[in-house]
Amino acid sequence: MIRIRELKKRYAGHDVLRGITLGVAPGEVSVLLGPSGGGKSTLLRAINGLDTFDEGVIEVGDLRLTPEPTAERAATLLRIRRRVGMVFQQFNLFPHRTVLQNIIEAPVHVLRKPVDEAVAEARRLLDRVGMLAKSDAMPMNLSGGQQQRVAIARALAMNPEVMLFDEPTSALDPRTTAEVIGVIADLASAGQTMIVVTHAMGFARNVAHQVHIMHEGRIAESGPPARIFESPETTVTRDFLREALP
Amino acid sequence: MERAMERHGEPIDGSAGRAAVAPSRRASPSPRFAMRSLLVACVASALIGFGLSTTALADGLDDVRARGVLRWGADEEGGGPYVYADPNDRSRRIGFEVELADLIASRLGVRAEFRQGQWDKLPDLVQRGDIDIVLNGYEWTPAWAERFGTSIPYYVYELQLLARSGDGTLSDWSDLKAPSERGKRRIAVLGGSAAQAYLEQNHADSVELVLFDGVTDAMRAVELNADGIDATLQDLPIAVFFADGFPGLARVGDPVGRGFYTILVKKSDRRLLAAINDAILAALRDGSLRAVLSNYGLWNETQRMRGLEMDADGGFQPGTVRADGAAEVREYEPLRGWRVLSDRGPLLIRAAGITVLLSCLAMPLAVLIGLTMALTRLFGPKWPGRVAALYVEVVRGTPLVLQLYVIFFLLPEMGISINALWAAVIGLAVNYSAYEAEIYRAGMLAIPKGQMEAALALGMPRWLALRRVIVPQATRIVIPPVTNDFIALFKDTAVCSVITVVELSKEYYIHARSTGSVLELGVLTALLYLAMSYPLAMLTGWLERRLRRERTL
Repeated sequence: MIRIRELKKRYAGHDVLRGITLGVAPGEVSVLLGPSGGGKSTLLRAINGLDTFDEGVIEVGDLRLTPEPTAERAATLLRIRRRVGMVFQQFNLFPHRTVLQNIIEAPVHVLRKPVDEAVAEARRLLDRVGMLAKSDAMPMNLSGGQQQRVAIARALAMNPEVMLFDEPTSALDPRTTAEVIGVIADLASAGQTMIVVTHAMGFARNVAHQVHIMHEGRIAESGPPARIFESPETTVTRDFLREALP
Repeated sequence: MERAMERHGEPIDGSAGRAAVAPSRRASPSPRFAMRSLLVACVASALIGFGLSTTALADGLDDVRARGVLRWGADEEGGGPYVYADPNDRSRRIGFEVELADLIASRLGVRAEFRQGQWDKLPDLVQRGDIDIVLNGYEWTPAWAERFGTSIPYYVYELQLLARSGDGTLSDWSDLKAPSERGKRRIAVLGGSAAQAYLEQNHADSVELVLFDGVTDAMRAVELNADGIDATLQDLPIAVFFADGFPGLARVGDPVGRGFYTILVKKSDRRLLAAINDAILAALRDGSLRAVLSNYGLWNETQRMRGLEMDADGGFQPGTVRADGAAEVREYEPLRGWRVLSDRGPLLIRAAGITVLLSCLAMPLAVLIGLTMALTRLFGPKWPGRVAALYVEVVRGTPLVLQLYVIFFLLPEMGISINALWAAVIGLAVNYSAYEAEIYRAGMLAIPKGQMEAALALGMPRWLALRRVIVPQATRIVIPPVTNDFIALFKDTAVCSVITVVELSKEYYIHARSTGSVLELGVLTALLYLAMSYPLAMLTGWLERRLRRERTL
């Protein structure tokens, strides 16, 4: 589904990504773990072009993204973004539109879906994330957990092949974190392909199919969560797990 | 960001994504300031009252003698042959009125000192005591005689019609009666001048008057055929003086509308007026006046005929010389109180309509251009972005008057014909667009980066993200400062009178001057401005409350 080869990025005299190679199979849940500043978010944002990179290739299905800033790259990015949904740490709902309007915005204006069709789909998705009752609320009047669930529904409305989660629970308190983790876990069990950057170790251990430990712009270790958590092979992983697990 | 703040005094918060409603520097003075002014006024009037009681018989002549200086007021902008910079020595002023002022001052035994003032405000300067006399081509009218001491004439003027020399359709006064293919003939005149009065009196049916503030502007407009203007009626001295400067113009028909240039002094300065009359008479007898006028090609047979009668105050009264001009023949009735309001009020209200029209056409344009500039600067490619930044700096760094001038006079020179109203709308729109651009730029910078990222991540092209996500949010932020600018624009429309658009302020000056009813019409004009800007202020308040509710519901 997604193949990343030898991805490198320098920013402000600092090597953020030093040659990342990574594959995500259809239906696979990949979790990126590691200490802050390891390049996890940068890698995720490179996939849908919110960040640039200097060397390497990203493939999403049959679409090939290279670093050269050409018109062709811009066109490829637009197509990738329609296949890849993203959920942000800060939710980033559109504050001037209601919950329902937030969700139908892209289907109506990007995919040119008829409005009633988009609304019906939006209501189905809101029901799925448990937010149907708040359809007409403004984002400002929702709690963080509620906003994040709406943001997930907004991304799903584009019917993406892959979902990217960029620390989706880092701005939430423990109780609402559980709400949101629950929604993501449901998605995972329904077979949604996804890459998740998170610090929620429980999620990584119980839901992930593959865990990648990132450190200083490299992938230090990859494997199924059971193996990574029970018998880590690198000191980076061991140090990280010692810090992260209580 | 800093530049946007510079205008509004307070920063627009860039981090939190809230609208910071900053007060404009055009805001009205604070109550504290108003209190202080009131206090100053009270003290001043007490002092004046005291002064009057001790020197009841004071006359301007005593002050002039005591000072040793005769302060004479004129507007150098009016130029030659009245008062202008010496082409050979720019630091010197010459002109027949300069020489005349020296002549009169020397007869009074003092030195003449030039004081610059805007032409139509000169009488006010005499009234306020800033200058002793007005000596600047002021035509004698009963209205002036009513309010000022008016000297015997120092020059008998006539009016000369000027048209484009190649224009075969306009070669005599009779041609004015025949309309051009565009309808009524458009004739440029100096606003409030005898030429305006003459044409209104004698040709009201066949010509349409276009009012200018400067004589050269009027002549240039004819030469360029700007705004369809075919001819101008000018005082003869101007026609003589500028004959070489405007080779495209030709004299049409005989001079008409004889009248008198008079010196204005304060009504109460009777002895000063008498002394000035004596000086002019003496200069007439000994030939020195003739010499001065001859220096500028202004002496002619007409000057031999002089009106020598004076009224009871020692003011000039045209009697012995039959004047055939309009201003003199027309009966003058000072209009005051309710009568002036019912007589001129409708005209002011109609002019207020022009103000509304100008503002309502210019502001949406300004916002549109401003938004485009801001978008180009923030999201456009590098070079267009720089051009937009340069546009903002140039437009914001130059005065509105200059921009209006360039649009009105330069475009016709490049072969683009534009009428005055549209020139005014474009000028205002361009000027304000620079400010709106900065407001919008600040507004868009205040929107968190995540909004654009979320839109892009949903597959929106950049322009769609701007249209659906960024601009709508920025618009909510900028509504209060933009409305504030709208109110400022309402008042800035007054500047458009320099390119002949008669809006509320200009209409007020015209009628205040012709009726002497400065106060009544002033109050009415102020009320009309308030009536226009107050609803806008209400609207701003309502929008702010609504937006606040939207955020906290």
